[in-house]
Amino acid sequence: MLRLNSAVNGYYRIVRIGLECPEAKRRLTTLGIFVGDIIEVTKSSPGPVIFKKGETSIGIGQGIAMCVSVIPLKLSRGRLI
Amino acid sequence: MKEKTIILTGNPNTGKTTLFNSLTGLHQKTGNWPGVTVEIKEGFFTHNDTRYKVMDLPGTYSLTSFTEDEKIARDILVKKNADTVVVVADATNLERSLYLVTLMLELEQNVIVAVNMCDAAEKKGININIKQLENIMGIKFVLTTANKNIGISELKDLIHSSAVLTEKKSIKINYGKEVEEVISELQPIIKEFTPPYPFRFFAIRLIEKDAEFIQKLQKEGVYSTVEKIINKLESLCPDIENFIVEKRYAYIHGVAKECVTKEKLLEEKIEFTAKLDKIFTHTFTGSIIFLFFMWLTFQIVFNLGGPFANLLDNLFSNISIKVAQFLYFAQLPQWITSLFTEGIISGLGAIIVFIPNIFLLFFIFTAMEDSGYISRAAFVTDRIMHTIGLHGKSAIPMILGFGCNVPAIMATRTLETKKDRIITILALPFMSCSARLPIFLLFTSIFFKKNQGSILFSLYIIGVLAGMLTARIFKSLFFKHESSHIIMELPPYHAPDLKNMLISAWERTSLFLRKAGSMIFAGVVLVWFLSYFPLSAEYASRESFTGIIGSFLVPILRPAGFGNWQAGVALISGLVAKELVVGTFGAVLGGAKNMSIALSQLFTPASAYSFMLMTLLYIPCIATIAVIKQETGFRWAFIATVWSILVGWIAAVLFYQTATLFF
Repeated sequence: MLRLNSAVNGYYRIVRIGLECPEAKRRLTTLGIFVGDIIEVTKSSPGPVIFKKGETSIGIGQGIAMCVSVIPLKLSRGRLI
Repeated sequence: MKEKTIILTGNPNTGKTTLFNSLTGLHQKTGNWPGVTVEIKEGFFTHNDTRYKVMDLPGTYSLTSFTEDEKIARDILVKKNADTVVVVADATNLERSLYLVTLMLELEQNVIVAVNMCDAAEKKGININIKQLENIMGIKFVLTTANKNIGISELKDLIHSSAVLTEKKSIKINYGKEVEEVISELQPIIKEFTPPYPFRFFAIRLIEKDAEFIQKLQKEGVYSTVEKIINKLESLCPDIENFIVEKRYAYIHGVAKECVTKEKLLEEKIEFTAKLDKIFTHTFTGSIIFLFFMWLTFQIVFNLGGPFANLLDNLFSNISIKVAQFLYFAQLPQWITSLFTEGIISGLGAIIVFIPNIFLLFFIFTAMEDSGYISRAAFVTDRIMHTIGLHGKSAIPMILGFGCNVPAIMATRTLETKKDRIITILALPFMSCSARLPIFLLFTSIFFKKNQGSILFSLYIIGVLAGMLTARIFKSLFFKHESSHIIMELPPYHAPDLKNMLISAWERTSLFLRKAGSMIFAGVVLVWFLSYFPLSAEYASRESFTGIIGSFLVPILRPAGFGNWQAGVALISGLVAKELVVGTFGAVLGGAKNMSIALSQLFTPASAYSFMLMTLLYIPCIATIAVIKQETGFRWAFIATVWSILVGWIAAVLFYQTATLFF
């Protein structure tokens, strides 16, 4: 498990959005980003992190990226595991 | 003719403004919703013998009280009691848009949905079955591509048929046994306090801990009972707010699964945005491109706008001469001639001369917004802006401030939170606008001939540092606990629509004219009055009221090294417009020819630099104050004015006193 701000480009599953960032959590959920979602990081640190969920690209600042915990996923036979 | 009210709402970047422009054409105006600074555009169209007033709400994702836009959107929806609410949905991302639709239905509005940007969805292989959507959600949907005028007449037909319905639509998402029980339990306690909101909407907002609804019940003295009930629920589900949102999305996901299908397309078609993003958001290339775009904006705004501004300036000079001649032949008193030529006409000129630059600036801004670039620019500058307690979106208006502070302050409207807007606006006047350049050129050419470039550069740097310091200080003083987090959806890139750009740029420019114009005009006339009277004194002489005020300022200005009444008068006239400082020196020092000699007698190199520091840092002009007042209210305009004068004076005194120790 790692924080989103230290994730390199690739696929991840969100496993936690920290309660220490309640506002960030609320804004992310309003945008349809939940724990359990699979995301693709398209731009990693330094600076803000940009990730895709489905058709949507979302950019988040370092502060918020630190509140999001993810686990990396690997592509195997066309499926993410 | 009957009149109906339509409210247009939707997520940001769904093409809402383009749809609004397509519906209303040029029949629109912008006003502020009472008590807030958020713009509400109103437009009109006539269809089937009915006149429709369309209100365009700010783009929003939800209807909570967490952001100003959301609160206002909700407020208007409830208080305006519109005949129909049109939710503009993004066809390429329907699930996200349907979230707002479900909220509108919980708010029991007469909703229809315009599924916009269908051409983009088609390119992505997305097919939407609107008949199925209508069956499931019980409301009407129409497919549109606003920038190509596709589906607009169908939308008008739908609005027409929908607006005659008196029945409000609603939805009842099942939030689970526990939540539903709490809603039922709350009913007898709060039902009488919920109007104008529907009871169920109000109850759900309470469970979601919406501060505005909580406060309403606290005032009624029933919140403690409500809190106990909600606390019980929270003991079962600690993250209840997100649970509610998840339930809504689960419902929407189910709807989308039934109604939206996606074909597999060639990768390169889909990856166009991703490829551009690799360059535009990259730490290095992104920064270079951002700087280039900002440079280009400057060039266009000032080089292309400059000749038009000069034309207008000349036009007003000619009008002034003609009017002076006419009034002379009419044998009217001298003060009336002066009031018209030096007061009213030059006042009007001072406002209108801004139009070409402001129009071009807003034109470029709309292009950046429409194309999707503006959100990328915000990301590129985010790291730097964090050091002063702001985030990336604030960088764009600050850079534009080097051109002219007035449109730059108006550009802060793209910032979401009040805190970000206020701090950016307070820092902005320190960015050295182009009007300050003639003052610097005059003084550096007299006192710093050998180091003109370096002195000029040092002033720009000091301006930036003063802006950064201001942002830091005000963040710590007034917004200590408010953090700046950037969370933004990055819309796909697309070509901006020319018609939309022209309409938006003009609409924003005319708003500036209406709002700031009256105050600039009043300020110019006031300075004329102070310079002209008493009648026994020459215009702007030591005996005029401006001269008297200038003399009064002498003891205050003396520690900064320029304790002479002429400098005082020049600084006062600089409040109207910084361009006037050089002209005023010319007037009070016996004309442009004598100015250099007279200035070298009045100033030393140290006091000249100190004077430049003062003109750099004290409030740029009346137009800037007017726009700050317009955007933030009287309190912040007053703080910005006093603060910048203080910073300017302290910097000038510190510099002069230190310099005299060494030189």
